[in-house]
Amino acid sequence: MSTPASIWRQHKKLSSYLNKIGRLLVWTKIHVAPSGFEHQTPYLVGIVQFANGEKKPLQIVDCVEENLKINQKVVTVIRKIGKAKSEDVIEYGLKVKPI
Amino acid sequence: MRIKVAGTGLTKFGELWNKDLLDLALEASVEAINDSRLTIHQIDAVFVANMIYGKVSGQDHLGALIASTLGIKGASFRIEGACASGGLAVHLAIQSLLAGTYKNILVVGAEKMTDSSATEIATALMGAGSQDERRAGLTFPALYALMAKAHMQKFGTTRNHMASVAIKNHYHASLNEKAQYPFEISEEKVLESPVISSPFTLFDASPITDGAGAVVLSSDSTAPGVFITGSAVATDTVDLASRKSLLEIAATKEASQKALKQAAVEIKDINVAEVHDCFTIAEILAMEDLGFCPKGMGGEFVYKGHTRLGSKLPINTSGGLKACGHPVAATGVKQIIEIAHQLQKRAGKRQVDNANIGLTHNVGGSGATVVVHVLQI
Repeated sequence: MSTPASIWRQHKKLSSYLNKIGRLLVWTKIHVAPSGFEHQTPYLVGIVQFANGEKKPLQIVDCVEENLKINQKVVTVIRKIGKAKSEDVIEYGLKVKPI
Repeated sequence: MRIKVAGTGLTKFGELWNKDLLDLALEASVEAINDSRLTIHQIDAVFVANMIYGKVSGQDHLGALIASTLGIKGASFRIEGACASGGLAVHLAIQSLLAGTYKNILVVGAEKMTDSSATEIATALMGAGSQDERRAGLTFPALYALMAKAHMQKFGTTRNHMASVAIKNHYHASLNEKAQYPFEISEEKVLESPVISSPFTLFDASPITDGAGAVVLSSDSTAPGVFITGSAVATDTVDLASRKSLLEIAATKEASQKALKQAAVEIKDINVAEVHDCFTIAEILAMEDLGFCPKGMGGEFVYKGHTRLGSKLPINTSGGLKACGHPVAATGVKQIIEIAHQLQKRAGKRQVDNANIGLTHNVGGSGATVVVHVLQI
């Protein structure tokens, strides 16, 4: 569960991942979501490998699935994560979009 | 290592409206103790496996709760390792018996899942994933779907291969009165059910289940029952993306090799096994990583019927997680019970001929924890 303090800690690290280019190894389209993500279904999540070899699970945005291919080049972007309740801190995090 | 499975107890698996967690745990425990022919006073310790009950109900402290309700005043513990909680509890009980701390231990795995909504359960289960996975909106079906996609890309594994796992396990469950879904299904049914996370449909996934299993383990080798001769645990990263490969569960290889070595048997000696088929691809990966077939051939291996009852190597005769059901922390204990019954010729309509050596394979998360046991008559 994300708290204001944990979101603050996470946000401090975001800049080091910004505008990084990676390649999409594999992806799935999620139709049944965990709580906080129901409004986004269906949505795409993949595993992205960056130039330094690091791999991360990230949502894929600004695309249609039919245009994605294996090893697709993608770039990291900052987007809202899940849906915050009206009194909660809005959480931002990394996603990727194809380039 | 020669630890006796002296007694077993198993509830019906399913959506059990009239029973809560304590009812289920007590029912399985009393049956296991009676089956062992020990008295309650001879049980030195209670090891309770549970993953999500504290989160969804607010009730923790399950070791003391279950032990004291049974009237056992010895040591009590609660063990958690995601869906491998049951296997871990059996492993830890064995270590305590080998250390000589206790002589007879009751291990009970129990879970009450159907009081909560599917979204609440999906969220609770994602506690077994990583923070990055939760932030990406991943679910367990989606994590295994990523492994399935990688397997399809690399080895040409098909949706028909995956469907054959579900079809076979439903056939086995049709012979098991304790199973949640004791009926057969068609390939069409699997392929045409709603997509939950591509390429998986609903019938690729194990269900949400209530249930409990209990075993009495004893260091007294003269007690009746089968022996556990190998017990090993291996660990990998909780985060799927951080692993070396998406094409295998490396911890399965490590745990199985250790357990087989302890038991002084080889994988080809195994006559029957219960493996962790939380999703259809998971059974295919298990076939390969345990060494029952070469890497990449798991889909074809199951599809051709090599693991169906009546073949040389029946896998998941209980119906597996897919069709017997998956009350997460009870699963690892249920696997031990099924193999013990097979070796004791107590498996009824799903009895495997000449079953003398069996194996259980219990996975936590997307492969971060794996527990393997070898059982012999």
